[in-house]
Amino acid sequence: MNPLSNSISRRDFLSKSVAGAGAGLVLGAPNILRAANADGADKIHVALVGFGKQGREALFNAMKNIPGLHFQAVCDIWDYNRNSGVNSVNAFQGSKPNAYVDIDEMLAKEKGLDVAIIATPDFWHSPHTVKCLEAGLHVYCEKMMAHTIEAAREMVKAMERTGKLCQIGHQRRSNPRYRYTLNRLINGKKICGQIVNASAQWNRSLGASQNIGFSKKLTIDQAVLNRFGYKDMMQFMNWRTYRGLSGGPISDLGAHQIDIFNWFLGTVPKRVYASGGNSYFKDREHFDNMMCIFDYDTPQGEVRASYQVLTTTSYGGGFYEAFMGTEASIKISEIAASSAIYRESGDHVPDWGDLVDRGYLIKKPAPPKPEASADAVAAYESAAPDIYDLPGGFGKPAHQPHLENFFDSVRGKAKLNCDARHAFESEAPIFWVNPSALTKQPIDFTSEHLAV
Amino acid sequence: MSTEPCCPNNKLAFIYGALLLRLWLAVRAIQTGVEKYAGTRSGDQVVAVDGAANAEGLTAAGSLKYYALENYHGVPAALMKKFQAEPLMMKFALPLYDKILGPTLVLLGITILLGIASRTSLFLLGLLYMSLTWGLILIKQDDGVSWLGIHMILVVMALALAEHNRFGILKKW
Repeated sequence: MNPLSNSISRRDFLSKSVAGAGAGLVLGAPNILRAANADGADKIHVALVGFGKQGREALFNAMKNIPGLHFQAVCDIWDYNRNSGVNSVNAFQGSKPNAYVDIDEMLAKEKGLDVAIIATPDFWHSPHTVKCLEAGLHVYCEKMMAHTIEAAREMVKAMERTGKLCQIGHQRRSNPRYRYTLNRLINGKKICGQIVNASAQWNRSLGASQNIGFSKKLTIDQAVLNRFGYKDMMQFMNWRTYRGLSGGPISDLGAHQIDIFNWFLGTVPKRVYASGGNSYFKDREHFDNMMCIFDYDTPQGEVRASYQVLTTTSYGGGFYEAFMGTEASIKISEIAASSAIYRESGDHVPDWGDLVDRGYLIKKPAPPKPEASADAVAAYESAAPDIYDLPGGFGKPAHQPHLENFFDSVRGKAKLNCDARHAFESEAPIFWVNPSALTKQPIDFTSEHLAV
Repeated sequence: MSTEPCCPNNKLAFIYGALLLRLWLAVRAIQTGVEKYAGTRSGDQVVAVDGAANAEGLTAAGSLKYYALENYHGVPAALMKKFQAEPLMMKFALPLYDKILGPTLVLLGITILLGIASRTSLFLLGLLYMSLTWGLILIKQDDGVSWLGIHMILVVMALALAEHNRFGILKKW
């Protein structure tokens, strides 16, 4: 036996082992260590970049339910939002965050920040995300990644260059109902059989599509507006309708749902055909009514996926995604009441009694049978399908699970459900919908269209 | 063919009988006392699929039973109101009775279980059941009175079998 080995005491061995493990962590996962830092309380210090409707109502309100966060700074160019952020944070945590107009000033002055939550207009997503990543912060950025595909590519490159975490806010990716539907029902039990079609929509009434107004008293100084890329206050409030500032309704609303096509089908489309126009809002830069079809080649076969965003919603309205298969169709939405699973009629479909008994599904009461009508040929109709539902939901705000996944990842307890690279792969086809509609031509995707 | 009984003195059967009765009465008293610390928490619970909690985090609204000191309720609230309305009930004693009922049941159950002064413990348990019986007679809960009557018979049987009681910590009293 080597006499030297005897000279290493048990205490030495333990201390050296711990140091070794620590070194391994430092080398293998620097991001994780930085997050559990600072005041020793394992708090994650958060900067809120953009405190408008999305930043305040969707993200901040959900983050209030997540323990271990300290909101250190709020950054927004509009004092109305900025003051609202300061007051909201103060009311929640009992201390005011530092407030900034300019993100560069915030990143220069603030010490000890761990993460940035970015909920600014789409055309600022990429510059803000890249700045924060390069400043050493982990980033949660709202979708759509950016208003141009080039800007989105920069976000992926920055994430990979800095080694920081960058979660994109496709919150359905962390939604337990969506994850259960994909993992347990579609992939696990293959209850749809072969999926041959998908469709989704986000239709809104005119009332919900109007321009957002503002009080003259709250107008931002023109020099500030110009400095941050806005022509005037109207453009600042309604940036979603301008081509230079956003991708329009197809990316604003469609990004969530077209992402579900790609995620659930496990691949990206090979082609898009799109049509759109200014059917109602004649003076808007972006089309207000759009429809598009994506062609997919999946391992199971061809799938066509249609998507529409309209300024009418009274018939078949609302927002949802649907996957139609040879054995069942699944209609899923963030609104649980708009979701259902329909078993196809016919002898080729296995009985689902066992799935119900084992808790995979809940059978809903059968709809009333329509009365016989002289003006319809009953033999042409398929039998009404049995309707089922998921065995549960989740009692949290819609964005909370995705934020929880982000913060768990920052703490090294989880892996991001939608990092910038995966988000880009899913969003890339969406960038080509407007060009297809504008040129009235289908676009066959190549690696140039879809690759980083 | 032999005509002799199989068990001439039947001593072992009495020992078993005493032990079973002791255990039954102890479990009945302890758990009844512990249940007075039970409460329910309503909230979302993880849904079980195929016999296991689903990994995706699907939940369903439900209520969860849990035990805590702050849940303690000696006399159920519904019965308490009825007792308070009874002219023969000593109002000053009710809050005290409410406070001690649960701990007393647990304590007597433990002493009976461990065989600590078994006879006195059984006697006190009988008195406790008698007090409950009196309260239920007042508010005309005849079913409850019958149940307690059965308990009293079991307590008396346990006392009758006391000489066969074994495995006790304190056999005196």
